[in-house]
Amino acid sequence: MSRFFRQAGDSDSDSDESEELMSSGDEAPQAKPPTGAKTAMSRFLRKTGPGADSDSSSDSDSDSDEDSDSDSDVPKPKKGLPLRSDSEDSETEEEEDRQGIRIMSAQEKRLAEMEGTGKAMENALKINDWVSISNEFDKLARMIQRQHNVSEPIPPFYIKTLLSLESSLTSAIAKEKEAKKKMNATNAKALNSMKQKVRKAAKEYEQDIAKYQADPDTFERDYTALITRDAPPAPTVARAAIGTAAVTNEDEDGGFKPVGKGGRTMLLTAEGIFKSLQAVQEARGKKNTDRGEQIRILEKLLELATTTYQRIRVLLALVSSRFDYNSSASSHMPTELWISAQNEVDQLVAIVASNPAFIVQEITEDYDDLVERSPASEKGGIVRIRGSIISFIDRLDDEFTRSLQNIDPHGTEYVDRLKDEKTLYSTICRAQAFYEQTKQDDPLSRVVMRRLEHIYSKPDAVVDALESSAESADIKPAITLTSSGSTSALIHSLCVYLYKSGNSLHRTRAMLSHIYHYALLNDFHTARDMLLMSHLQESIHSADVATQILYNRTVVQLGLCAFRSGLIKEAQATLQDIFTTQRVKELLAQGVHQQRYQVLTPEQEKAEKQRQLPFHMHINTELLEAAFLVSSMLVEIPLLASIDSEELKRKAISKPFRRLLDFADRQVFTGPPESTRDHIMQASKALQDGEWEKCRDLVQSIKIWSLMPEAASVKEMLAKRIQEQGLRTYLFTYAPHYNTLSLSLLAQTFSLPLRSVTSIVSKMIWNEELAASLDQAGGCIAFHRTEVTRQQQLALIIAEKVNSMAEQNEKALDAKMGTSGGWGDRADGKAGEKRGEQVQERRGRGDRTRGGSRGGGRGRGARFAQGLGNQMGHTSQRAG
Amino acid sequence: MAEYDLSKTIIPYLDRHLSFPLLAHLVETGVFSADEVQVAQYELAKGTNMFDYAASLFEQIYPNQEVPKEFEQKRVNAVSTHERLQQEAQAVLDVIENPDVAQALRQDKNQNLQYLKDNYKLTLDQITALYNFGKFQYSYGNYSGAADYLYHFRVLSTDPDLTISAHWGKLASDILTGKWDIALEELNSLREAIDSRSPAPFASVSSNTNNTPAVDPALSQLHSRTWLVHWSLFVYFNHPQGRALLLETFLSPTYLNTIQTSCPWILRYVAAAAIISSPTPTSKSTAAPQSSRVKNAVREVVKVIQMENYQYTDPVTSFLMQLHVEFDFEAAQKELQQAEKVVSDDFFLGDFHDEFLESARCLVSEAYCRIHQRIDIGCVLTHSAFPFLDIRRYSDLSNRLNLPRDEGEKWIVNLIRETRMGQDAKIDLEKNLIQILRPPQPVYQSVIEKTRGLAIRTQTLGAAIARTGVAQAASTASAPPSITQPVAVN
Repeated sequence: MSRFFRQAGDSDSDSDESEELMSSGDEAPQAKPPTGAKTAMSRFLRKTGPGADSDSSSDSDSDSDEDSDSDSDVPKPKKGLPLRSDSEDSETEEEEDRQGIRIMSAQEKRLAEMEGTGKAMENALKINDWVSISNEFDKLARMIQRQHNVSEPIPPFYIKTLLSLESSLTSAIAKEKEAKKKMNATNAKALNSMKQKVRKAAKEYEQDIAKYQADPDTFERDYTALITRDAPPAPTVARAAIGTAAVTNEDEDGGFKPVGKGGRTMLLTAEGIFKSLQAVQEARGKKNTDRGEQIRILEKLLELATTTYQRIRVLLALVSSRFDYNSSASSHMPTELWISAQNEVDQLVAIVASNPAFIVQEITEDYDDLVERSPASEKGGIVRIRGSIISFIDRLDDEFTRSLQNIDPHGTEYVDRLKDEKTLYSTICRAQAFYEQTKQDDPLSRVVMRRLEHIYSKPDAVVDALESSAESADIKPAITLTSSGSTSALIHSLCVYLYKSGNSLHRTRAMLSHIYHYALLNDFHTARDMLLMSHLQESIHSADVATQILYNRTVVQLGLCAFRSGLIKEAQATLQDIFTTQRVKELLAQGVHQQRYQVLTPEQEKAEKQRQLPFHMHINTELLEAAFLVSSMLVEIPLLASIDSEELKRKAISKPFRRLLDFADRQVFTGPPESTRDHIMQASKALQDGEWEKCRDLVQSIKIWSLMPEAASVKEMLAKRIQEQGLRTYLFTYAPHYNTLSLSLLAQTFSLPLRSVTSIVSKMIWNEELAASLDQAGGCIAFHRTEVTRQQQLALIIAEKVNSMAEQNEKALDAKMGTSGGWGDRADGKAGEKRGEQVQERRGRGDRTRGGSRGGGRGRGARFAQGLGNQMGHTSQRAG
Repeated sequence: MAEYDLSKTIIPYLDRHLSFPLLAHLVETGVFSADEVQVAQYELAKGTNMFDYAASLFEQIYPNQEVPKEFEQKRVNAVSTHERLQQEAQAVLDVIENPDVAQALRQDKNQNLQYLKDNYKLTLDQITALYNFGKFQYSYGNYSGAADYLYHFRVLSTDPDLTISAHWGKLASDILTGKWDIALEELNSLREAIDSRSPAPFASVSSNTNNTPAVDPALSQLHSRTWLVHWSLFVYFNHPQGRALLLETFLSPTYLNTIQTSCPWILRYVAAAAIISSPTPTSKSTAAPQSSRVKNAVREVVKVIQMENYQYTDPVTSFLMQLHVEFDFEAAQKELQQAEKVVSDDFFLGDFHDEFLESARCLVSEAYCRIHQRIDIGCVLTHSAFPFLDIRRYSDLSNRLNLPRDEGEKWIVNLIRETRMGQDAKIDLEKNLIQILRPPQPVYQSVIEKTRGLAIRTQTLGAAIARTGVAQAASTASAPPSITQPVAVN
């Protein structure tokens, strides 16, 4: 369109531009579109424009680009013809002639689009279709907005359209008023909204309109002058223009690149970079910003940046715009973007680490974004730049986790993605090294925490692999695998660092990770002691959800650890809590729990999904269940056999197991076992019947054991436990039927050494579980079974009941005293004091009671007195 | 036996001076070569002001070398320091020993201080001189003098840190002078001081552990307790009542935790004390009544040992383990042989060797009897000294017990008579068997047992309720007049 003018006013505008550049460099660029401040920008954009467009035509990944492509199909300049004023006709014709061979610049394309829209509007106006006018106008407004974004001046065409619209609007409204009910409802509505929109737009561009109305020609000329000035020098354009259509694409690149480079070298002033940076940053977060485009701009800028300061600034902007690329919280960042972001963070860290004169801080003094800064120009020789590397690292890590959450864990993609952890880990290590170097404690502990979280739950081999990548980096953190010697030493030193740091959340998490790691290494005692000494179980309820999940994981791993080390009772007790909730998966964040009666809100569901652990961190719940049920079986079955009254039977140690067992009991037919549960249930029954071999075979044939490290030794351990518990169960169950029982026979039946049989039996006798004694001379067990008559039995029961009633009474009084004491204290000090004395007295009395009644009443009296004062103490004492 | 020697583990928790007896004991037992121990003694003595002792040690170790000059020089220094400190301390002492002053002193330390300041112009610095002099005396081995000065200082001083330090000093002096009664008192008061000093800061810290300064009060309390546990061994194993007191103290939850956390090896002493103080047939049961904690000590100790098995084992603890957890009498017997050696070599336990053995035998026999009904006497003998013995292998028994034939039989009969088993056990010499008749407890007996305490309990309950009613009425009536500080009901 502007070829004519351009060629004519080339030299003029060039000189103009340079003047304008100098004069109005700092003026607010947005208020007056056709000022110099814009030109630099637009010029730059013009250079990058073609490249970007050709990219997008191949990529076609951003919506707006597609939009513009499809739009630009419609408004061929031919159609745009009627829009033009007569004076322009000749140029349009000229342009039209060139259509075939000439490649429109992006700007021209946009203009053509706009004109197309204008045309459509005009058509609609003719048939009085305000709905489509409204639509078209919206489109136009968007284009103008984009024009703004790339800081190009408002074309006069827009102003013109605006004016004509305004006039036709007024006339239409007037007509509407005259001819009532002529328009349908939607149309009328569109008309009204149109009125408002136009008014608004008119107000926005008031100045321009005024200028235009005063002298349309000058306005237009100004505009074209501006445009032309930005155009590339004539010869190259000519070359490109002359080129045939066949070579369009390559030619475009080939043709424009050298120019671009030429232009760049010319434009490589610091100011140019900062201004485009600023433009990008201003566009950030706005609704119609094309994020892909921005990233490309910034990538180009990064190539351009020469000084360290520029590079840091551009990198900071680039990484954050990469993170911005995906706005929705649910989906994850594309892998390629993530990788490049990760690379750039690496670069950033490397730059900052090698230039101690530059510091990236979250809070800095205000500085002018548009000015190049260097250590020399700053106070104290240190350039402080606003930004936060640690948040990049955090984000990078979070995005990684999120992508793992979203990728199907059974596909190869997941594995491929998992491979990126290595590079991520080395990035984290580099950042740690950097923060160590600069001695920034707070981000350092965050980074160390991240690092720890990557390795704490992994076996040695994986940690070795991760560490080797970190090791090869140019800057290394103080703590590495080679420096610490072993994985656990590495984790230990990381944890110790975090314990010493001030942040209590990090401390808690480090503690839990540390315990988890010990549990993973089968060091049950250390892990348990640490867990108990940390007193975390008291405060964990107030912790955040992620920490609670970690806590659950730790406890579960501890239980598994106990199981692996053959500490069946401990394993059962540890795993009990989590299994009674019946929400194992949810508590471990390995799956969303379906609640039957309660529907989650979408937000809750989303939050829940975000908390899920990536698949490779999962603890296998089936294995967990197998471990729990087997240990429950080993604890519960002998217990079941030992008690004979129905009442006692109700007190189960492990409710979930008991439930399953009852269920299995009720079944009429039992087929061969399929699931893990079936196996264990049938094994339990076999154990109850004293068939320990069958029980062992069933338990050992559970397939899931293969997932457990050292499966063979675990199976062996289980077999041994089953033998022992089988013996106990057998004795409990069948004792009433024997008078004496040979030890050697027992040893033979349960294929245990005679010594351990004796030991087990002795233990049972000593603990008064079994009414029997050993006949050492005869090598057998003699049972002393006393048959109680009905009457005696009842007497015993009533004695028991009276006892428990007395206990209840005491408890009731305790409770009453306790609560009333609390209230009394609050309400009135005097009462509290009185009660204090009273308790003293009673305690004295308790002592006396104790002295007086040796024997039965003795312990009771003391306990009672203490119980009055402090219930907690009393329970703990009883427990201990 | 060197692997079971605890001197090396214990010495870091002791004062320099307290370590000398331990080292001296090592020389006697000959577990380590005497030369090495002497070198260790010398190194130890070098750091004190006991130059003569150090010099003599030096001569013993390096007979041909000349004693280093520095000792001479140090001695001169020390003498002058001694004089200076003595003068300073004497001033205070003069005042304090004045009977008027002694009468005027009260409980309140601040008031005392004010009184001394007003009437005798004693300043805090002068009182601190007492401490310094006491410490100096301690450092050159005049323990009784040190104890005196530190005692006076403690009465007067208000500085909490120095008071605690003086406490420790006094305790060490008392231990080294062998005044066990005084040392025991000192030990108890020190324990109280340690236990009471920290709770307040401890509680406040535990609520916000995030921003603790360098020294955590809880941690320092743990340290003090660990030290106290080690120092108290001296007292407990020398005082006549010591073993029972040791069990009382060490089995209380706080100290049990301390032992479990920081010094599991103390379990050996706890276990030994528990074994020693368990009743034996020879020790007449007329002894002072024991608290329930001591009575059940063995059971509790077994529990702890079982819990800490992964951290610490030695023959003494594993003897208990084998006996009461595994019920493997043969293994227990083997462990007992080991334990016997360990005990006789141990500095603290050495004197109790016989008692230990006796009690251990009793424990074994008690356990054995409870489990068995008919015992082949010969078999018993091979296990240990059991009460019911087979005469067939009488010689074997004698060997095991190291008892002559007649005495062995007497011992057995004694056991049968005196063990708390109370069951009818009879020796059947014809069959070489011991029959233990264990009539099952009649039902009525157990009903009586169960209901025995009920009446008294109910009475107490009733009384408590009545009192509450009265007290509440009284308190509501007299509530308004004075509002005093609320007293937390424990």
